[in-house]
Formats: sequence, C-alpha cells, structure tokens
Amino acid sequence: MNQHRPGAAQYVLLALLAIVFLYPIWWAVSSSFKPAAEIIASPLSIGELTLDNYRAMFADVPIGTGFVNTALVLLVKGGMTMVFCPLAGYAFAKYDFPFKNLLFGVVLLTLMLPTLVLIIPLLLEMSALGWVNTYQALILPGSIDAFSIFWMRQTIAAIPDELIDAGRVDGAGEFRIFSKVVLPVIRPGLAALAVLTTMNIYNDFVWPVVAVNDTAHQTLQVVLSTLAQNITGNRIGADFATVWGELLAAGSIAMLPLLVIFVLLQRHFINGILAGSVKG
Amino acid sequence: MRLRSVRLTPYLFIAPFFAVFGAFGLYPLIYALQLSFMRWRGGSEARWVGLDNYLYLLTSPEFWASLGNSAVMWLLIVPIQIVAGLGGAVLLANAKLRLRGFFRVAFIAPFVTPLVAMAQVWIVVFDQDHGLINYLLNLVGLPDVGWLTSTTWSKPTLALLFLWKTTGFAIIILLAGLQAVPGGVYEAASLDGASRWRQFWSITVPLVRRSMAFLVVIQTLAVFQMFAEPFVVTEGGPYGSTRTAGLYLYEHISASDLGTGAANSFLLVLLVFGLSLVSVRMLRPKDEVS
Repeated sequence: MNQHRPGAAQYVLLALLAIVFLYPIWWAVSSSFKPAAEIIASPLSIGELTLDNYRAMFADVPIGTGFVNTALVLLVKGGMTMVFCPLAGYAFAKYDFPFKNLLFGVVLLTLMLPTLVLIIPLLLEMSALGWVNTYQALILPGSIDAFSIFWMRQTIAAIPDELIDAGRVDGAGEFRIFSKVVLPVIRPGLAALAVLTTMNIYNDFVWPVVAVNDTAHQTLQVVLSTLAQNITGNRIGADFATVWGELLAAGSIAMLPLLVIFVLLQRHFINGILAGSVKG
Repeated sequence: MRLRSVRLTPYLFIAPFFAVFGAFGLYPLIYALQLSFMRWRGGSEARWVGLDNYLYLLTSPEFWASLGNSAVMWLLIVPIQIVAGLGGAVLLANAKLRLRGFFRVAFIAPFVTPLVAMAQVWIVVFDQDHGLINYLLNLVGLPDVGWLTSTTWSKPTLALLFLWKTTGFAIIILLAGLQAVPGGVYEAASLDGASRWRQFWSITVPLVRRSMAFLVVIQTLAVFQMFAEPFVVTEGGPYGSTRTAGLYLYEHISASDLGTGAANSFLLVLLVFGLSLVSVRMLRPKDEVS
C-alpha cells in the first residue's frame, strides 16, 4: 500500500469520480420533484418542488403491486438463499465425504452457466407445470445459487476446526453446531450475503420478463420496464415532459429501498466483496 | 474435519442445492440441447431437423451482426473499465486518505441502483432534443448529438450506462488485490530509486493480475449476455445497431421460434466459454505454469 500523504491532485481526481458516479442519481431524484415542464426547460436548476409526477405515476402504473410482488419473491427466495447456501458451504468447507470434489466441481461449473441458456427450456418447463404467471416460477429457479455456496464455503473455511470440534465434544448435534457455532462466527459474511442477494433478486429482470406476462404477478422491475415501453411507444403523441416526470418518479422510488439498505449496511457489503473476491 | 460418524449429514446439507439445480438447471439444460436440434415454432408440432438450426444461425447475417454488436460493446467496456478501475483503486488505496469511506460508498452506489430504473434515466438524459447532455453541449456552443438515434453513438451511450453502473464494483475488486500488497514492498522500491510510474508497472500491475483476470471473465460473461440495457433504452435500434447477442436471443423467444433460440443459446455459451478461457490465459501471471 502506498503510504505517502495523498496530494491535492489525488483528492481532485477522487472528487471528480465521485461526481460522475453520484450525479446521475442525484439528478434523477431531484428532477422527479420538479414540475414536468421544468425538467426540460431548466434541467440544472431546482426551483419549485411538487409531487405531481408521483401522483401521475401512481395513477398510471401498478407500481404498488410491483413492490408487493418483489417483496414476496425477495422474502421467500432470499430466505432460501440465506438458509441453504451457508449450509451447503459449511458441508463443502468442513466435512470430508465421498465425491465431495466432484460435487463441488458441479457447483463451480454451474457458476459458469449463462442465465440465457436456461431461459427457453425453463419457460417450457414452467408451462408444462402450469406455472406461467405464478410466484413459484419467480421464486424457485435459481433460488439456491452456486455463487453464494462458493462464497460461503470460502468464508466458513476460515473458521478454525477446533471451534467446531469443541461443539462436538459438548455433544451438540450437527445442525446445532451449524446454527450455534458456525453462523454466529460468520455474521459479517452473512450480512454481506444478505445485501448481495437482496440486490440480485430486487434487480432481476430477464427471467421475470419471460416467466410472467400478467400484471398481477409482475415484479417491480418489470412494471418499470412496461412504463418505459408504453412511453417510447406513444412518444409521438404524448406530452413527453409529463411522461419523463413519471419515468423519473418511478425510477427514484425504485432506487430508494436498495440505496437505504446499502447505506445502512455499506461497511459489511464492501468488506464482504473485498473478502469474497480473489486476492492478489 | 474428519469424523466418520457423520456420514449422511454433509449430503443432507448440500441436497437442497442439487434438488433445485436438478429440477431447474440440469433438466432444462438437457431439454434445451434436445430442442436445439428441433424445429418448433409457436403452436406447430416439434420436428427433428438435425443441425439445421445451427446451420441457419451460422449463415444468418443477423446472428453475426448481433455477435458483432456485442463484440464492439466488449471493446467499449472491458478495456476502459480495467484502466479506470485500476486508476480508481490506486487513488483509494492509501491508508492516510481522508473521506476514504465516503469515496468507496460514492463509487459503488451506482452498482446498487436498479438497472431498469437507470436505463430509463438514460433515455431522458441522452434524449436528442430535450436531454440534459445535449442541453449542456448547447451551453458551451456545441451542436446536438443523436446519442440514442444515430448508429455511431448508440453503442457508446449504452456502454456508458454499463460502465457507470459497474466500474465502482471493479474498483472495489481491484482494491482487494491492491490491499494484499505489503506497504514495505513500495518502500523498498523507493529506496532503490524506482520511480512511482515504474513501481506501478513492476509491482502494482503484476500483483492485481489475478483480480484483473477475475474481472475480465465476469464482465465478458455479462457483456455477451447484456439484455436489459438495449431492451429498455433502444429496443435494439437504431437500425439494429444495439441488437446485442442477448437481445437477439430474446427475439427468438418472443417470436416463439424456440428451436432456433435454443441453438443460439448454445452457440453463445460456447463463445463465452472460449472468450473466458482466452482471457484467463492471457492474464495469467508469467511465472505460473499450466
């Protein structure tokens, strides 16, 4: 690590980078509170503030349904990831059993599998099961993912064996050792996993677009995308200043939950990425 | 841990993954392979056609155009991201830096914004007639640019969205590599009279090579699967200039041409695997064998 005192030039460069990364978010959120015509007429200044864009957007799109659906999927799918991935990671990190390397190899191989390959056959499988436009279709595929298992294995491998042996000597059952000894030790890793999982599920787009085509089951991202498409489709006729106001309002409200979670848990999140990535 | 009394336990612990993978990973994968040798459009009967789907794609200009578009995207994204990511990481990797926590949060904030929402912001910001970017250009006396309406600019504008969203993530990954470098190494190099620039090339770059390889592989996978950006912002236009490999694949699905779609996805997988292998090989540290 360079230990010289950072100079002014370094701060200027860092500040410029920070502006590049933060300004689009700030511009979108602040513009969403401006009267629609102002977004175009004076994109840089903020004068009068209004909730009109939000009112119009709530009237135009079922964004509430989108939020509820995303929350539901997040709860069940995220819950499955948070329980079963550490469990599998623990088995791969701390047990010896026949075919372990082969089975872990399968986990690693699935990590390389592009999502797009599975879209078509999964869609056919869903329709054969009668699951198109259901929550099962949104939740089950990809619910226990290889990346989280791989990552949890790395995290749990760092726990000293003695700690686990001590639990065994005390006569605790295998699952009890996992829940009472292993889980408390890897709490920071779990927090990072929770943030990453939340982000992935919240932002998932390709599969929900394909698996669901009725409004009742659309996730938030799909609801947002239909708004955009309705608008680009109607652009010629529509007063697009109003439309932009709605787009920015919808976008801002969709950003909010993740940004709040991120700011609250950012230390865990960043340290989690730092610890989970390849070093050196 | 070597305990022979607990034979079944580890299998029980990994069983949920394999159950889900078998039902929603392996089974559809085998199904897709079979499907890629069949002609199946919409309601009609599926029929075995051998390699026809593959031959159709390999001789179709549209298929090659979609790969070409993705390749250009890759060139616009990956090299820039590696350079910018390394620059950002070097700027951040200083224990004496003030506001370090703030900068880290600022850089990675775009990574947690929903892609669809930001894609819509891009529509608004890069609009030719009323967007913010052209407004700024006009302020300094420059003419409007058709960011999303000209075939020259549509790809760079989408690439910029991808770069904006994920470069902070790249910075953090490379930072992890940099922090593994002990401070003493630089001090020794300074004492030996090596310039800062030389230190960067002969110490920093070799040490983050593995992080760089990791980034190149995951971003190659991501760029060749890029879907939401063109789907929301440009719908593949103008004139198909942003019809990426991922979007072209989706078009088979929406046209109910599932056999061709399945063949297309396998061709894409082969390509992505090949590209990942090549990039890992090229970025492998020179002293490592095999």
